[in-house]
Amino acid sequence: MENHLEALRQKKGWTQQELADRVLVSRQTIISLENGRYNPSILLAFRLARVFGMQIEDIFIYSDNEVEYE
Amino acid sequence: MSNSTNWMAARVRLGWILLAAGLLTGIAGVWAETQYGGLPFNTRIITGVGILLVGLGIANLVRYRAALNDERSARRITVEERDERSLLIRHRAGYRAFWAAFALVYAGLMWVSFAANGSLPEMSTDALWFFLAGCTVLPLGVYIASMLVDERRL
Repeated sequence: MENHLEALRQKKGWTQQELADRVLVSRQTIISLENGRYNPSILLAFRLARVFGMQIEDIFIYSDNEVEYE
Repeated sequence: MSNSTNWMAARVRLGWILLAAGLLTGIAGVWAETQYGGLPFNTRIITGVGILLVGLGIANLVRYRAALNDERSARRITVEERDERSLLIRHRAGYRAFWAAFALVYAGLMWVSFAANGSLPEMSTDALWFFLAGCTVLPLGVYIASMLVDERRL
């Protein structure tokens, strides 16, 4: 899923590790999120929204093509 | 106590339980070996299980006990182990390994069933050993391969 995480993080001046510590995940998870390879759980999405003081929809861009079947 | 320290304390408790269970099982194995020589199975299996449990217990204690009194380490280990992406990768690997194991065991069951009515040759003891070894090793291989693939993909 596309998102504005990297831009928002850089705007705050945080490193990936700092953001990871704030939302209780590993740095690798932040890297994957920023690259759009990993979609966060609803809880992580809320934590991210909270640390940036925004709504989830302002961070993550949902489109109808996001449905993923395995 | 924070969530991390609580979680860490639970892991340490599990470590002590495993250690105690391992010691008891190991002692039972040695006792059975010395007291009951004529048992129809090798009692060292019991001792072996005991040693495995002791190992798991010590591993838990070594990993978590030091972090119990250090909030930063406790938090770091908790995040590492409960990180949702890592959990997802492990769950996917477990799911695939389960189906690999299921397919192998099902194939073995079919073989034995067909062998019973003469449609297939009986499995020799050696073949059975290799088959069971495959049932252990192949799902583990699937698990590890899946972890490696998903680590790069996700």
